[in-house]
Order: sequence, then C-alpha cells, then structure tokens
Amino acid sequence: MDAKLKETILNPIFKGNPITVLVLGICSSLAVTVTMKGALVMALSVIVVTGISSLILSLLRNTIPSRVRIIVQLVVVAMMVILVDQILKSFEATYAIDKQLSVYIGLIITNCIVMGRIEAFALGNKPWPSFLDGVANGAGYGMILLIVAFFRELLGSGTLFGVDVLNWLGYTPNNLVILPPFALILLGCIVWVQRSIQKDLQEK
Amino acid sequence: MNTNGNIYTIIYTTVIVAVVAAILAFASQSLKSRQDDNEKADTISQMLTAAQFATKADLQKLGNTKVLAKYAEEIEQAFTVGTDGSKVSDLDLDKVYSPKELKKQNYKIKDGSGAEIPVFIFKNGTTVVPVYGAGLWGPIWGYIAFEPSSNTIKGAYFDHESETAGLGAKIKDDPAFQAEFIREQADFTNQNVFDIVKGGAPKNADGTSVIDNKIDAITGATMTSNGLDAAIDTWLGAYSAYFKGTTAKTEEE
Amino acid sequence: MEYLSLFVKSIFVDNMIFAYFLGMCSYLAVSKNVKTAAGLGVAVIFVLLVTLPINYLLNKYVLAPDALIKGVDLSFLSFIIFIAVIAAIVQIVEMVVEKFSPSLYSALGIFLPLIAVNCAILGGSLFMQQRDFANVGESAVYALGSGIGWFLAIVSLAAIREKMSYCKVPAPLKGLGITFITVGLMAIAMMTFMGISL
Repeated sequence: MDAKLKETILNPIFKGNPITVLVLGICSSLAVTVTMKGALVMALSVIVVTGISSLILSLLRNTIPSRVRIIVQLVVVAMMVILVDQILKSFEATYAIDKQLSVYIGLIITNCIVMGRIEAFALGNKPWPSFLDGVANGAGYGMILLIVAFFRELLGSGTLFGVDVLNWLGYTPNNLVILPPFALILLGCIVWVQRSIQKDLQEK
Repeated sequence: MNTNGNIYTIIYTTVIVAVVAAILAFASQSLKSRQDDNEKADTISQMLTAAQFATKADLQKLGNTKVLAKYAEEIEQAFTVGTDGSKVSDLDLDKVYSPKELKKQNYKIKDGSGAEIPVFIFKNGTTVVPVYGAGLWGPIWGYIAFEPSSNTIKGAYFDHESETAGLGAKIKDDPAFQAEFIREQADFTNQNVFDIVKGGAPKNADGTSVIDNKIDAITGATMTSNGLDAAIDTWLGAYSAYFKGTTAKTEEE
Repeated sequence: MEYLSLFVKSIFVDNMIFAYFLGMCSYLAVSKNVKTAAGLGVAVIFVLLVTLPINYLLNKYVLAPDALIKGVDLSFLSFIIFIAVIAAIVQIVEMVVEKFSPSLYSALGIFLPLIAVNCAILGGSLFMQQRDFANVGESAVYALGSGIGWFLAIVSLAAIREKMSYCKVPAPLKGLGITFITVGLMAIAMMTFMGISL
C-alpha cells in the first residue's frame, strides 16, 4: 500500500479525528453514548454509511452540477440510510437490531461527518481512496464514541455492555454521568488528553 | 461537458430524485409484507410477555412462526369495546394492534370521539389491554395483563421508540420495573387509575410494595415515568367502564 | 395564549441546544465571535421558519397515511422529503447571502451548506411530525421559538468565548476543549428549565 493511502486511513483516526479535531458529528455522539451497545451499533452503521456514500458520490463526482450538489449528496445519503433500515427491518434475525437502530437513523443522515467528508474529500478524489476515507473517518468517530460510552456506562450505570461491573461492589450509579452535558465535559477531557500528547494540535 | 447549465442541472436533479424514489418505493413495497410479519410477531410477543406466558427474550429466540403458533394456541377471544364499556365488534383472532393503530385510537380517546379499543382474552382468563402515550422523546406503548375478571395486574410489558438508553429506556429493558406491576391493583373508580410515584410508592415493613395502585418511578427518568403514568391513566381510564362491568359480574356470581 | 406558551417553551424549556443537543457541530465551530455567531443564528431562524411550515403541509397532505390517495402510506418517504426541502431552502439562502453579503458569506464558510445537515433543522421537522401540531400557525410559532432559542444559545456561547480568550486556559484545553466543558456547564444550568409546563 502506498504512503498516501496509508495516510488517508490513519489520519482520521488520530491527527484529523472527526470529533476532536474537525468538530463534526457531535450531536449523535451525545445521544448514543449512554451505553456501550448503542455506541457500537451507531459506530458500525456510520462506518457503513460514510464508506458507501463516499464511494457512490465519488463515482458521480464529475457529473454533479455544483449548484445542486448538496441536494444530490443528501438524497444519496438519505437513500442509503433508509435502505439499510428497510433491509434490516425485513429479516427476522435483524429486526431486533433495527428496532434499536431506528432511533439513530435520523441522526446518521444529519451526521455532519458523512456530509463533511463527501464535501471535503469524495468530490475531489477517486472512488477507492474516497471509500477508505469514509470508512476511516467512521472508525475515528466510532473510537471516540466507544471511549465516551465506556466512562458513561461504567460510572452512570455501573455496567459495561449491560454486564454488571461496579454495582456488586456497592457502587451507586451517578445519574449526572448519564445526562448529555456530562458527555460534553468528557469530550473536553478527551481533547485535553489528545492535545497534551499531540502538541501541534493546540490552539493559540 | 458543461455540468452547470440550467437544463443539465434540472434534468440531472429530476433523474436522481426519480431514481432514488423508485429504488425506495420498490424496496418499501417488496419488503413491506416481511416487515409487517416481523412487527406483528413482535407485538404478539409483547402481549405474551405481559400475560406472563414467557419472557420477551425467550420468545425472540423462538422465532416468528412459533410465536404466532403459541399465540393462536393461547388466545380465546378478541374484541373491541367503546369507552362506555359496551362491546363494539369481534376481532379476528390473528388481528393485533400495531403502535400506529394505537396512536389513532389514542386521539379518539382524548377527544372522546368514539374510540374502539381492543381487549384480548386468553384461554386461561387473562385479559390483556394496550396503553399508548408520549414519553420524553417519542411515543411509548405497552400491554397490561389482568387476572381473570379482576383488577389485579398479572404483568406488563412496555416498549418505546426513542427514550434515553439507560434511563427512560428502562421501561422496556428493565424487567425489575415491569415486575413492579405484578399483583398491584388498578383502581377503576378513580380518575388516577394507576400511579407511578416519584420518590417511591408506599412500602411494607419488609420492603415489598404495598398492594395498591402505586409503583416506584424510574430514577432519573422523570419525564418518561410521567409520560407512562399519563398513558396508563388515559387508557385504563378508557377501559374502566368495561372492567367495572366484568368485575361486577363475578361478584354477583 | 397557547401560541405564547408554545413560543416561550420552545425557546427555553425545549431549547434545541441545551435540551436536545441538536445542531452542535456548527454551534461549536462558529461561536468564536459574536458577530458571525449572530449571522449563523439568524440563518438558522430563517431556515427553520421556512422549512417547518412547508414540511408540516407536506406531512399533513402528502405523507400521512390516506392523505394523498386512500390506502397509500407514504410516511417512509418523510425523511427524504424533509431533507430535500431543507437542502433546497439552504441552497437558496446560500445564493442570497453570497449575492448580498459576501463578507458574511466568507465568514460562514463551509457552515452555510452544512446548515442543511444542522440537526436542529431536521430535528425541528421531526419533532413537528411527532407532536402533531394542530395547524400551520403552531408549527411556525414552534419554528420561530426553536430558532430564537438556538440563536440565543450560540450568541451567549460566543460572548463567553470572546471573554475567555483573555483567560489563562491550560494550553491543551485551549479552544475546543474548554468550549466543550463550557457548553456542558451551560447545559447543566439550563436543565433547571426541564420539565416546566406552561
């Protein structure tokens, strides 16, 4: 694999992380990080949606009239998301997963990461790197989701993936952690840690 | 090729929208029957869970066909009643009410315009009725099962569209919350048929809940608890004439 | 009276930012100074005010079950229709701003097109669908209230951030980090309004 592709994949996960550096996709990261399970489901679906819609729009990139590009992007992304939802809903095995996911469907469409990466990358690059860029950004986003969800579920419910971790020790779950404002404070702390390590990201 | 011309832009947009609409319409039409089957099996398993035939997780493992078979085996009669307690019409035994249909009836109950609400009676006498209302983020609904001709609750199951995971979502995910309903009694003479009390319902000395029409609210989920309380009051209130009728009959016998 | 209570409620109690955390991305990124923040805030009010009544009418007369043709339920299209309406309106706003105020246009940068994916806008339409407003008037009042709520939230954060640039914030926390924490604290304060019924 050549260096440029490697950069495309690794950059979004650390240096150009969509949440902590590009400030994209915050809304959904607050809503779904109460439990690890919700965060994981959301992370996976965002990876799928960003990857495939980046691919489709990169294929179409030379034909899209620039004046209506946003409408075209949104229509393609929304179609992808609705299709995923409809297909999951139709199979017995995936119906239960979809019932959990359907809450987040709207959040995926309006997730700025999907649109932001299409605007910034897919419309100017070939399909294969665009696909990788989409997947990598989804992964970078998912990683932050899981970190936040880890702390929120552990401290807020005393469990991880629904399995009791702290409660049997007599821990009283802290309800403040479950409220959305705490997710913001946690994100602030994650930024703090990341920028202490990567000093070049610090703002003046 | 000039991709910025007006005609090109209009044609391009039209084609994209038409293609997307066609794909979605096709997907929606061709998958609809399968989705309806899944939804129906899900609703039935909620009713069976409320009536304490099995737990939701077990029913999920069984698969749709077996859930439907189990329901067909246990159900005795289903019919709709008006808010005055009189029977309106019989329902087919394989007919269930989806949340969408409950929503329609919910309007009618609220503006008093001739709601026809379903009653499901199982062979062992258990009566199951639905409730529907608004939670914090979206609709919540569920089923409450009563002992034969009585106001004693046998079980309950609730579902929601988008309550906060870990807080409001406990109405569905926390079996302990649903278990609180068991053996409590709905008070059909009161406008407050059932209460979900913030700060704790009255307790016996040994810590068990007093048998009354009150249970504990979910900590940290005040809005969802209030919504559920209102949903139960509205719906059981609408059924109160019907239940007063059935319980009175047994007392005479 | 009902309109008034809906209006006040949608500004403070159901604040898009502090109660529902919708529209966070542009909220955090465009709140560095009060002037641009106010510009974006006005754009959001405008887009909400235009899209919500349109989506309300579409929802009532086209998408709802049995609305267009008896027995046809088009509600599976609601997401895509709402989004298309929003995107079209945003595109129009973008063109107008570019023509009449190039300085605001360059200041808003990428965030003008991103209003289309501002969750507050789609969220407004979805809440509208969920709450079954009685008429177009109610949906417009709700749109205005939510927009103003969003406007107030972003202007107040921008004001705090302007002051904060004179504070000694630890270097790694500077900018984004401290902003996250500030918004978290503001949200906790705003939670006192939660559950108030008017």
